[in-house]
Amino acid sequence: MKLHFADYLIIIVYFAFVITVGFVIKRKIKSSNDFLSSGRNIPLWITSLAFISANLGAQEVLGMVASGAKYGIMTVHFYWVGAIFAMVFLAVFMMPFYYGSKARSVPDYLSMRFDEKTRGLNAVSFAVMTVFSSGISLYALAKLLEVILHWDFDVSIWLAAGIVMIYTFLGGLTSAVYNEVLQFFLIVLGLSPLVVVALHDAGGWSTIKANLAPQLTHAWKYMGKADENPMGINFMSLIFGLGFVMSFGYWCTDFLVVQRAMIARNMGDAQRTPVVAALPKMLMPLIVVLPGVIAIALMQPALQSKGYSIPTNASGQLDYTMTLPSLIAHYYPSGLLGVGITALIASFMSGMAGNVTAFNSVFTYDIYQSYFVKHKSDKHYLWVGKFVTVAGILISIATAYVAKSFNNINDFLQLVFSFVNGPLFATFLLGMFWKRTTSNGAFFGLLAGTIAAALTHGLTIAEGKGGWIAPMFEIKSGMGQAFIVASVSWIANFCTTIIVSLFTKPKPDEALKGLVYSLTEKPKYHEQKWYLRVAPLAILLLVITIILNLIFF
Amino acid sequence: MQKRFTELSFIIGSFFLIASLILLIGYFTSSLLHADLNMYAGIAFLIFGLMMILLTPKTKKVN
Repeated sequence: MKLHFADYLIIIVYFAFVITVGFVIKRKIKSSNDFLSSGRNIPLWITSLAFISANLGAQEVLGMVASGAKYGIMTVHFYWVGAIFAMVFLAVFMMPFYYGSKARSVPDYLSMRFDEKTRGLNAVSFAVMTVFSSGISLYALAKLLEVILHWDFDVSIWLAAGIVMIYTFLGGLTSAVYNEVLQFFLIVLGLSPLVVVALHDAGGWSTIKANLAPQLTHAWKYMGKADENPMGINFMSLIFGLGFVMSFGYWCTDFLVVQRAMIARNMGDAQRTPVVAALPKMLMPLIVVLPGVIAIALMQPALQSKGYSIPTNASGQLDYTMTLPSLIAHYYPSGLLGVGITALIASFMSGMAGNVTAFNSVFTYDIYQSYFVKHKSDKHYLWVGKFVTVAGILISIATAYVAKSFNNINDFLQLVFSFVNGPLFATFLLGMFWKRTTSNGAFFGLLAGTIAAALTHGLTIAEGKGGWIAPMFEIKSGMGQAFIVASVSWIANFCTTIIVSLFTKPKPDEALKGLVYSLTEKPKYHEQKWYLRVAPLAILLLVITIILNLIFF
Repeated sequence: MQKRFTELSFIIGSFFLIASLILLIGYFTSSLLHADLNMYAGIAFLIFGLMMILLTPKTKKVN
C-alpha cells in the first residue's frame, strides 16, 4: 500500500484538527474538576457519541471486522445481545446511582457504597488496566503502520503518543471527548464507502448468502449445539457469558465508558446518554462486522475473480486482523485511501486517549487524593492531573515497547483484564440492589471471582491458549473460552459476596440512601414528553433489537 | 463569531469540508485521484460538512 500526497494531506489535516481542539478547550480549563470531570457540562449529543466512541478503539474496529470474517454474522451478538441490553440497563437502573451519588468515578462509588479497600482494589486494577491497554493500542497502531505503510515503528509510536499527549494535556477529559466525537464521524464516514463498494462488488447480500456456509450468515439458527457453529458455543453460554456477564460487566462498570455519561449536564441527560448512544451502536455492525463477512465471501470460488484475499501470516493461516486494512488497500483509490488510513489512526488514538483520561481521573481522585495527599488546593490537583496525563502516556509508550519485545504480553494482559473485569458486575449488581451486601462481602467476592477466572483459564484450552495448570477441557474457540471464564468468575464472585455478606455486618440504612435501589427515591419523569423519558426510549430500543435478531435469525 | 469557531459541530464540519475539497479538487486535477469513489465520497463529505457548519448555533442564548 502506497500513499499519495493527497492521502498524507488528509492525515496532516486530521492531526492539525485534533491538536486545535486541545487549544480551543484549554481556555475553558480552570479547575481540576474541569480537567478531570469536564465540570459536568457537556451536551447530550456529545456525551452520547463519546460514549460509543470510547469503545470504538482499534480492538473494536479491527477486531470486529476480523471476527466477522472468522465467525460470520454471529459477531453481531456483541451488539444485539450484549451491548444494547447492557446500555439500556445502565441507563434505567444504574445511572441514577452513579450520577445521583455525586461520585466522581466508579471506584469513588465503591468507596461510598462499601469501603476504602474495595475502592482501592478497583482503582489500582483499573488504573493498571487502562494504562497498559493504552500501550497495547499504541503498539498495535505502530505495528499496523509498519506492516501496511512501511512507516518506522519508533516514529509512529512517538508521533501518535505525542499528538494524544498534546490534546489531553491541554484540554483534559473535555478535549478527549470532543476528539472522540470527531473520530466517531471520521470512522463511520471514512469506512462507509468501503462497505458500499465491497458489498456491490460481491454482488449484494443475496450473493454473499448463496456463497457462504449457512453457519456464517445466520445469527441464531446454529446456536443450539456448540459444535454446529464457528464460535463453538451454545446459546446458553452466549446469553449468560456474553449477553449478561461480559457485556453488563463492561458497559455498566467500566469507568472508561461510564465516565462519558457521568459528565452530562443533569440526571436526565446522564440517563439518556447510553440510550441515545445505543441507536448508532445498534447499526455499527454495518460498519465493523459486515466488511468481515464480505471479505470471507470474496474468497469463495465463485467470487475469486474479484481478486481479493485476506493476507496470510508466517504460518500460512489467514491473518484475520489484517482483513480491514487489506479491504481498504484493495478498494480505496488514492485520496479516499488517506481517509481510510486516517480513520484507522483515529480509532487507535480514540482508544488511547479514552484510556489515558480515565486513568488520570482514577489515579488523581481515587489513588493520589484518597491515599497520599488529601487536603491540598484545587490548583495542586489540577497540576497532578496534568502530570499524570504525561506519566500515563510515557508508561503507555514503555508498554508498547515491551509488547514489541514480548509478543505474548498482549494476550497475557488481555487475559488479566478479563480476570478483573469479568466478576466486577456481580459486585455492582449486589451492591446496588441488595442492601444486605457488606464491604467485606464485596471485597472477598471480587478476589474470589478473579481467582476463579484464573483457575478456569488454567484448566481449559482453546486454540492453543490456556491450560497452564492442566488442559482438562478443550473449547473450540478463544472467544468461547472467554465467555466461560467470565461466567465462572461472575458466579464465584456472586456466591462469595452473598455468603460473606450473610456472616458480616452491613452498613445502616441511613448510610446507604442514594446508593442502593430500595433506599433511593426514584427519579420522576411524568412532566416530560414520552420521547424524553428513559423507559419508553429503552423499550423502543429493545423492540428494534429483537426485530434485528429475528431478521438475521 | 469567535465562539462559533469553538463549537464542536463547526470544527467537525470544517474538517469534513476540507477533506471533501481535497478529494474533489484531486478528482478534477490529478489523474491519480480521478476515481468515481473519490468524487462520490467528496460530495457526501461536502454535504455533511456544510450541514454541520450550518447547524452550529450562531450565538449562545443568554438567560
